[in-house]
Amino acid sequence: SGIFSFIKEKTISEDDIEDVLWELQLELLEGDVALEVAEKITESVKKELVGKKVKRSTDIDKYTRNALKNAILEILKTDSNVEDLLKIKKKPFVILFVGVNGTGKTTTIAKLAKYFMEKGLVPVIAAADTFRAGAIEQITKHGEKLGVKVIKHKKGSDPAAVAYDAVNHAKSKNKDVVLIDTAGRMQTNMNLMEEMAKIKRVVNPDFIIFVGDALTGNDAVEQAKMFDEKIGIDGVILTKADADTRGGAAISISYVIGKPILFLGIGQNYDDLIEFKPEWVVKQLFT
Amino acid sequence: MAIGGTMLGKLGEKLRKSIKKLAKMPIVDEKVVKEVIKDLQRALIQADVNVKLVFKLSKSIEKRALKEEPPKGITPKEHVIKIVYEELTKLLGKKSYKLKIDKKPYKILFVGLQGSGKTTTVAKLAHYLRLKGYNSAVVCTDTWRTAAYDQLKQLTEEINVPMYGDPNEDNPIRLAKEGLNKFKNYDVILFDTAGRHKNEKELLDEMEMLSKEINPDEIILVIDGTIGQQAKSQAKAFSERVKIGSIIVTKLDGSAKGGGALSAVSEVGAPIKFIGTGEKIDDLEEFDPARFMSRLLGMGDIKSLIEKF
Ligand SMILES: Nc1nc2c(ncn2[C@@H]2O[C@H](COP(=O)(O)OP(=O)(O)OP(=O)(O)O)[C@@H](O)[C@H]2O)c(=O)[nH]1
Ligand SMILES: Nc1nc2c(ncn2[C@@H]2O[C@H](COP(=O)(O)OP(=O)(O)OP(=O)(O)O)[C@@H](O)[C@H]2O)c(=O)[nH]1
Ligand SMILES: [Mg+2]
Ligand SMILES: [Mg+2]
Repeated sequence: SGIFSFIKEKTISEDDIEDVLWELQLELLEGDVALEVAEKITESVKKELVGKKVKRSTDIDKYTRNALKNAILEILKTDSNVEDLLKIKKKPFVILFVGVNGTGKTTTIAKLAKYFMEKGLVPVIAAADTFRAGAIEQITKHGEKLGVKVIKHKKGSDPAAVAYDAVNHAKSKNKDVVLIDTAGRMQTNMNLMEEMAKIKRVVNPDFIIFVGDALTGNDAVEQAKMFDEKIGIDGVILTKADADTRGGAAISISYVIGKPILFLGIGQNYDDLIEFKPEWVVKQLFT
Repeated sequence: MAIGGTMLGKLGEKLRKSIKKLAKMPIVDEKVVKEVIKDLQRALIQADVNVKLVFKLSKSIEKRALKEEPPKGITPKEHVIKIVYEELTKLLGKKSYKLKIDKKPYKILFVGLQGSGKTTTVAKLAHYLRLKGYNSAVVCTDTWRTAAYDQLKQLTEEINVPMYGDPNEDNPIRLAKEGLNKFKNYDVILFDTAGRHKNEKELLDEMEMLSKEINPDEIILVIDGTIGQQAKSQAKAFSERVKIGSIIVTKLDGSAKGGGALSAVSEVGAPIKFIGTGEKIDDLEEFDPARFMSRLLGMGDIKSLIEKF
């Protein structure tokens, strides 16, 4: 910068951006970004901007808004796409689905079975939710409708044994993918988290998908954190995005565990699954 | 699992500390009140209370805390907590938190978002009512969710409550009609419905028609305790179609604070009557406002403080 740069440039001060940052933080909170995450994101934007030299003509509010949008895109960005992540690297490729109660695990498994079939692959489903009333019947009916084999035991039996059988079935029948449905469980329930860890030990899955509800508020952080810590998460699917959600849960979860979000569930039919794009969140949050 | 006592959040900790500062003060200090208000706002937002509602609430708390003279014998700290409690109580509504069965048959219609816990709660409530001496029957009108019939059938068989449904019928109105007819001599009839949300117009139409057909004495909105800011607008969409009489908040056995339910209460003006605290049939508790507030604020000691007033 030359001698006269002060004429063309100005330095951003804390005062310049305080109001707009507060406004943005409120927008994040109203869009269901968890409080701690919203605060950390705006704090990092503030750090990035204060002291920065910009053209005198710059509209600071707009500039700050853009910086925040970029920060969000950065959080949601991943290096690998869904196609690669879910590529069948070995046979059978075993995918374990985990999450709290009622988020949409079973429905999402049915959708993914269809996704794999459309790629010419043959899936098999493990009815390893042996706990919830009607769970085995639910996944069985999905299997019937889709023409996918469902491996099941009696209600109340050991879920790890069901999952193990499904993997063996796939091996002997030369199937490509094993999709393991599990019972919903609260991340705070240590017995059930331990049971999940056991299922994981027994089948040694190639990929673990956390299924979260897009309507979740601040608890999304606790859920993702605990499931990642106790079980490990490789990818995330957010359901019920059709319920007019702003997508804050996607930001909270990505921020906390840094794992890619693969798909959004956008309805109750098998085709209601779309690939997740970070731009979707920005659009939902700021329009 | 007990709520409130065990999972005290970091924010609750902070709020408690800022309130403690008031304890040492002879008079209510504006700066400290502002600090308390700020921590209160953060605690409530983290508990998933609607952001706009939080600001409205904290404004009136601040105004009262600075203006009102603490009554004799009450410290500034107790005074502020009392105001917080009163304002939150106002939000929770003046209507009774108790379920009253004052007709026969008393018809209850359950509605709510997908996966919120309706079916499980129908069974829990049927069980609860039986323990209170009412014989109840259950009707499945969910023709959408795969195996909804099997789920409700297994749940009600376990507790020996009669259930009507037909997995081959795809018209919920017909199911409701038949169920009404079948169970008219029971004390209570509970109707389970499919999950739906505010953007599913046809499903909302269906709910409205079901309500007209059944003419329920009470419509219960089942709210997932983990829901965030969407609680308000979703609850609004339901109450624009049917008259919500009460609310049940589920999944409060996890770490969510249930603030979404508070937003729903303030939106539809119906009281919370029960909370769900687990997947088992007896994991249903009568609503206790003081405990719920302790949970929202992340402070375990609200109840003992209130008892002083
Ligand atoms: N609108 C909408 N509903 C969905 C979506 N995904 C799932 N659902 C519905 O959400 C409800 C719960 O779905 P399930 O698949 O049974 O959820 P789950 O996680 O397997 O539940 P549990 O096994 O009980 O823990 C059902 O009514 C589904 O139809 C979605 O993307 N959009
Ligand atoms: N931990 C816990 N789980 C609950 C509670 N209430 C319900 N659930 C679980 O939440 C999941 C969804 O419950 P459902 O009763 O099937 O929900 P629903 O509203 O009928 O779902 P749809 O009919 O698909 O809309 C199941 O796994 C239940 O066991 C609760 O209070 N605590
Ligand atoms: Mg399931
Ligand atoms: Mg149901």
